[in-house]
Amino acid sequence: MECSQATVGFPRSLLFHKYHVLWSTFFEGLGVSTITSPPSNRAILERGIDLAVDETCLPLKVFLGHVDALRGKAEHILVPRVVTLTKQETACVKFWGAFDVARNSVPGVNLIEYNVDVANGITERAELCRLGARFSDSGRAVRRAYRDARAAHEAHGRALEREQVAALQGDGVKVLVVGHEYNLYDELLGVPLMRILREQGVSVVCSELANMRLARKLARRISTDIPWTYNKQLLGSVELYRERVDGIVYLVTFPCGPDSLMTELCIRRLPGTPAITIILDELQGEAGLKTRLESFVDLLKAAARAKAAS
Amino acid sequence: MGNYDIPVVTLAGMLDCEIVPPPKMTRRTLELGARHSPEFVCVPFKYNVGNYIEALEMGANLLFQAGGGCRFGYYGEVQEAILRDLGYEFEMVRLAGGFTVLEHYNAFKSRNSRLNMVRAVKTYRLASRQTRALDLIEDIVRKRSGFELEPGSFDRVHERFLAALATTRTISEVEQVETAHRTELEALPTEHRDDLLRVGVVGEIYVLLEPFSNFFIERELAKRGVEVHRFSTVTSMIDHAGPRKHEHLRDIIAKADPYLRYHIGAHGTESVAMTNTLMREGFDGVLHLKPFGCMPEVNAMAALQRLSREHTFPVLFISFDAQTSETGLATRLDAFCDMLRMRKRKVGMGA
Repeated sequence: MECSQATVGFPRSLLFHKYHVLWSTFFEGLGVSTITSPPSNRAILERGIDLAVDETCLPLKVFLGHVDALRGKAEHILVPRVVTLTKQETACVKFWGAFDVARNSVPGVNLIEYNVDVANGITERAELCRLGARFSDSGRAVRRAYRDARAAHEAHGRALEREQVAALQGDGVKVLVVGHEYNLYDELLGVPLMRILREQGVSVVCSELANMRLARKLARRISTDIPWTYNKQLLGSVELYRERVDGIVYLVTFPCGPDSLMTELCIRRLPGTPAITIILDELQGEAGLKTRLESFVDLLKAAARAKAAS
Repeated sequence: MGNYDIPVVTLAGMLDCEIVPPPKMTRRTLELGARHSPEFVCVPFKYNVGNYIEALEMGANLLFQAGGGCRFGYYGEVQEAILRDLGYEFEMVRLAGGFTVLEHYNAFKSRNSRLNMVRAVKTYRLASRQTRALDLIEDIVRKRSGFELEPGSFDRVHERFLAALATTRTISEVEQVETAHRTELEALPTEHRDDLLRVGVVGEIYVLLEPFSNFFIERELAKRGVEVHRFSTVTSMIDHAGPRKHEHLRDIIAKADPYLRYHIGAHGTESVAMTNTLMREGFDGVLHLKPFGCMPEVNAMAALQRLSREHTFPVLFISFDAQTSETGLATRLDAFCDMLRMRKRKVGMGA
């Protein structure tokens, strides 16, 4: 044990939005205090843009801003490296490199990492327990903290899924927003988009699907070859919800390779589903976004009225 | 890709069918590809789509797409959907698994029942020997053609070599062709320059290997009196595939220290490892090439920028997309080479 009194910082971006329950339960279970960077704002984005290579994708720029926002506030900043979650699939390459990119780009921070590469026999459990040993002398306490964290994480995923099902119950126009959690739940990216949709009286369903076995099975109906685990979840949700919503919004950030390919394939394979692709970049103004979403929702409402009349 | 069409045609010979030799790339290839591809998919995807359309126009009806270490591994499925929507009729073999010989054999076997394992192994060995010969000869051209006394002498031997290589049917023929042209190239007169610049070229494999996609950047560098060193070739990919993969990865991660702790995808780790090594070996500079938005290489750039900053080592970053202009590139290369020469003179005087 080297750091009992330390604070661990979580950058509120990228995998935080997927694993925050896992992380906070785990470290709190070890009695370690944690701090999370504030919700994304313009200053965080500007700082990220300064630190990043120009062509870095938008979420990774936001991420670097968040890492920098924790400088001086946390002794350790957690940046996981995720390569593979199963033998056959992979994660987007930015998750392979996020740790090294942050180490090279953000001066004056101390990063800690855990590495998940199941195809090469490196599991989340083993790596988080290794990391936990730096904060606790008791191997048993670490293993218990991990077990609790994993259970809390899974319960949280199921709760999110139930929320989507509830959103499907309502009357009125329903729209599925397809996007990675780090885009959907980011204060600068997905949050304004979903707010605009709700202001139009739309019930918003998010592409949450915690049951990965189901997601893989459904995703195969659209794509047999797609290798990215997190995109399989998105494809699975498209297949699961598309019959029950009026339209789909694909939320893509510039210049995301996996999403641009996935969106292209979805639009070509599902010609009967009304869809719009919203590409967010760092220059985004809300007015243009609002106009596009309003006209999309208007079309969906008109189609729903026509269907009701016939 | 590059002149690798020679070994690829050798492999396709296993199908016993008519082979449509891929037409040479032109601006039209890229324009066709860019028009039908998702907007910000990387430029190799767009070239591929252009290549396919041109091959289909010439009557091809069986297309191959190999896999790769990044999103390249997924291109086949989306490209097939695009081409079908355009109304083409064809069959596509997607080799998403990368370089496993057995997988390739099964793909070929399913198209040609007369193929047997002995013939397949022979063909693979021939194609791989052709690749080695090609990479060896082109390495000499890269390093020396910038200093030729008679303009065009290296290109002429290179052209003759390619024509001869395309007709080889056995490994010993390949060896003969290789030795003959190698001797010839090494005998060509070159000038000795005191201000010789040694520059390494690293980056993403497609734009490195396909000269059309990088506007023949290696030849442009040679013209400016640069000895060009490149380490990523198909030979190096074959050498580092399969069981040797893990050892190779450990090796390059060690070479990339202290800039990387982990593998950052595709050839990104190699770019950092090579640049770090070349800097220590006293090279004058490094060129880093990639398609716009290539994630593994963007990961590498964060490390390369830090390396360049900490050691004041010149690295020129170039991104290629469907709109890159040749003139803009020439200007940047001129400026980079001038800067390297000035630096060299300054260091020379200081010593």
